[in-house]
Amino acid sequence: MEGWDPNTKSTLTQIPLLTRKAGPRDGAAWTQRLKEEYKSLIAYTQMNKSNDNDWFRISAANPQGTRWTGKCWYVYNLLKYEFDLQFDIPVTYPSTAPELELPQLDGKTQKMYRGGKICLTVHFKPLWAKNCPRFGIAHALCLGLAPWLAAEVPILVDSGMIKHKDDTATTSTES
Amino acid sequence: MDDELLELQRQFEFAQQAKSSIRLSERNVVELVQKLQQLQIIDFELLHTVSGKEYITLDQLRNEMVSEVKKLGRVSLIDLADATGVDLFYVEKQAQSVVTEHRELMLTQGEIMSESYWDSIAEEVNERLQECSQVALTELAAQLNVGLDLVASVLEPRLGTIVKGRLEGGQLYTPAYVARVGAMVRGAARGITVPTNLTAVFAVAQKEFVDSFFSQNSFITYEALHKLGIPQPIQFLQSRYPEGKPLVTTFVHPSMIEMLDASTEDALDRGSWSDSLSLLPSSFTPQDASKMLSLCQSVQNALKCHKAHIFGDFYVMSSSFIKDICDRIVKELETLGVSGSAGITMPGDFQVPNEAKVGHDSSRLNESNEIMASDGGANRHADKGSKKKKGKSAGNAVANLSESGADNQEQTSTKSKKSQKRGKDTSSQMSVTKTGSRKESVKMKEDNLSPSEEWIMQKITTLVSDFEEQGIDDPETILRPLANQLRPTIISSWMEKRKALLTNNAERMKRLLDNLQKKLDESFLNMQLYEKALELFEDDQSTFVVLHRHLLRTVAAPMVDILLRNLDEHNKLKNGLEVQETSNSESVCLSPGDRTAICKSFPGSLASRALAVVEALEGKSVEIFMAAFRMVTEESGLPLKNLDKKLERTLLHSYRKELTSQVSAETDPVSLLAKVVSLLYIQVYHKALQAPGRAISAAISHLKDKLDESAYKILTDYQTATVTLLALIAASPSDEEDCASDRILSKRELLEGQMLHLKSLVLSSSQS
Repeated sequence: MEGWDPNTKSTLTQIPLLTRKAGPRDGAAWTQRLKEEYKSLIAYTQMNKSNDNDWFRISAANPQGTRWTGKCWYVYNLLKYEFDLQFDIPVTYPSTAPELELPQLDGKTQKMYRGGKICLTVHFKPLWAKNCPRFGIAHALCLGLAPWLAAEVPILVDSGMIKHKDDTATTSTES
Repeated sequence: MDDELLELQRQFEFAQQAKSSIRLSERNVVELVQKLQQLQIIDFELLHTVSGKEYITLDQLRNEMVSEVKKLGRVSLIDLADATGVDLFYVEKQAQSVVTEHRELMLTQGEIMSESYWDSIAEEVNERLQECSQVALTELAAQLNVGLDLVASVLEPRLGTIVKGRLEGGQLYTPAYVARVGAMVRGAARGITVPTNLTAVFAVAQKEFVDSFFSQNSFITYEALHKLGIPQPIQFLQSRYPEGKPLVTTFVHPSMIEMLDASTEDALDRGSWSDSLSLLPSSFTPQDASKMLSLCQSVQNALKCHKAHIFGDFYVMSSSFIKDICDRIVKELETLGVSGSAGITMPGDFQVPNEAKVGHDSSRLNESNEIMASDGGANRHADKGSKKKKGKSAGNAVANLSESGADNQEQTSTKSKKSQKRGKDTSSQMSVTKTGSRKESVKMKEDNLSPSEEWIMQKITTLVSDFEEQGIDDPETILRPLANQLRPTIISSWMEKRKALLTNNAERMKRLLDNLQKKLDESFLNMQLYEKALELFEDDQSTFVVLHRHLLRTVAAPMVDILLRNLDEHNKLKNGLEVQETSNSESVCLSPGDRTAICKSFPGSLASRALAVVEALEGKSVEIFMAAFRMVTEESGLPLKNLDKKLERTLLHSYRKELTSQVSAETDPVSLLAKVVSLLYIQVYHKALQAPGRAISAAISHLKDKLDESAYKILTDYQTATVTLLALIAASPSDEEDCASDRILSKRELLEGQMLHLKSLVLSSSQS
């Protein structure tokens, strides 16, 4: 579990683990898995809310629950930067982790694959593999996207690659 | 899509819609406040507490300070900083504005005080003032820990209202006090103008002083009265206090006597002692204490029934206490006497009278002996008697017949009549000039003052540490009388112990000497017998010396050892020591060093004489030895028989018989030769010869003229063969079987073959 800050680690351990190993093609088994995913997401969301650390909204974009869309945001210098979030559940799930995409940031940072898929740390993959099938979507968000935002958004803001939505109208002088 | 999944979807949706609880971190708040300040929304100064967790506005700080001051009345700024949690720097800054804002507060020396505080203080001061009539401002200032000026400035406006009094010259006075002083002044002023009877005033003053002193202390010294100008204190006091008791220098109330009586009685009941003087005030003299004791009822009762004793005027001791000390000292004496260890040294006082005695101060001796005669004569008799009965010749007894028969007197007479027989003299010398501290102490107790007062005093101080601990200035005052009291008891009980021991030892001494006499008689006669044989060799100097030495080593040495051992034991017994019955010790040979040591432990001249014997033993003349030995035995009261013709013959006869039987039984070829030669000497010269191996050849050559040729040849051949054999044995390297051992064997066989011839040589002639 090295490679993540203590907060991330303690949060991760509190997200309920999943038990069923099933991908989108496994029919009823997948439905069961999907239920577990929801339960885990609900717990994670509630945890974030109670800690005043709410940072994303997602929902299944199709009835099978293989595509998810929503938003995620990060507060930097008292300003909230919000991005679209989308990802598909790969057919080999849960052996393969979902690839989280922030299409708005496509091309703005090097820590990103073409199409807006975020680059995860070297530590993510082995940890995911080790914890298959116990980790789900909530874990992927907590372990992948949250640290990525925390690391990349300040750089993007400071380098001027992204601007706050208010700033586009009023050219502020604040630092 | 099943319902459950839909339900979960809905729940998730709901969870995401739920309002998140707002949480601001400390950092956020700090940022917020900074922002507010930046935006000029907070346009006033904002302080934070020392802990850094709180913001506080100046107004709030001031409010808190004021409320704190109002609550406590008086608060130091440091305490305020603690109470508000704001740095002292801001508190100090705000204190000024607080004081200017609130007129009822004042700031002095880092402290804020309220008017109400001063009001309460003023009330307190007033209470105190009403109590004491006058109060100094300095005192108040010191008590309140503020400046004098401040106190004055605060109290002044309250004078007449809260504080009912006057302030004058730094002092507060009540009107009543002022009025009183005024009245006094008026009285004094009036007194000056009116004549007064001084004598009456003085008499009243005297009376008052005596009254107050006596009622407070229950005693008053006459000297104090003298100082007051009362010429006859006793009459004065007795008339005034009929219940009081006059002592030597002091007049006491009966309660004081009761007190002394009670504490002394207590000490007596506990079987302890008490120092009356220390219980009384320091002005009391020992005579006073003594007088007081005579007035104490219980003490007098105790004295009457001998439960208590008074020493040195004012020390009261219970009989049980004295008895305890006495018992312990007697016990000490016993261990001292019984163990007799040389390590115990008596105090110097002991030596002095003893030495005086050694110096033949006969008058003194007489005196001391007379004391002894009355003191413990019987015991002494037993001691001396047992010793002297053996040691004295009859002549002495005759010389002393005229005297009453008491041995101590006998001794005295010996001392003065130096011309008397030496044996007698030395024996009495012995009793006096013993060396060794123990000996001295014992003699001391017997002949002179026995345990001296000083000694007993010293013992008492070590036994009863109280005496020293209580810091008695002069132990003499109590110890000497106590020692005097104890001495007779100690002496008599100690004498009894000694007597018992000595009568016990007397029996053993008698037995010891009898045995010794027997043993010595026999050995000494033999010695004389062997001595005779030496005469034959007077012309052969070297053999003569060898023979003398041999005789001293082999025959004389054991004899001396027996004598020394027995004398030593006798000596110990006589000194009242327990001596273990030693029966087998005589078999052990003493070394010259042991002998000297024993000799030195002997008393007086016996030591030197015994030393002469030991010396002669190491010498080479039997005659000198014999003379010295005789001296010792005579001095010890053991007269030895001289060898007369008749005795010599019987002894020789028995010796010859014994030798003959030994020779016929002898199987060892080497030792046979010596015995044959001895036997031949008896046969030829009628002398008993004790010859060592190296003197044998000389002895044989002396026989040449007396034997026929063939017999002499057998003898010489045998002797040569023996010498060769012995030389071979001495030279043989080890037990290896080589030619040397063969030769020894053959020589031995040859000798064994010759043995019969040799035996026949003496046996036949003895039969003829």
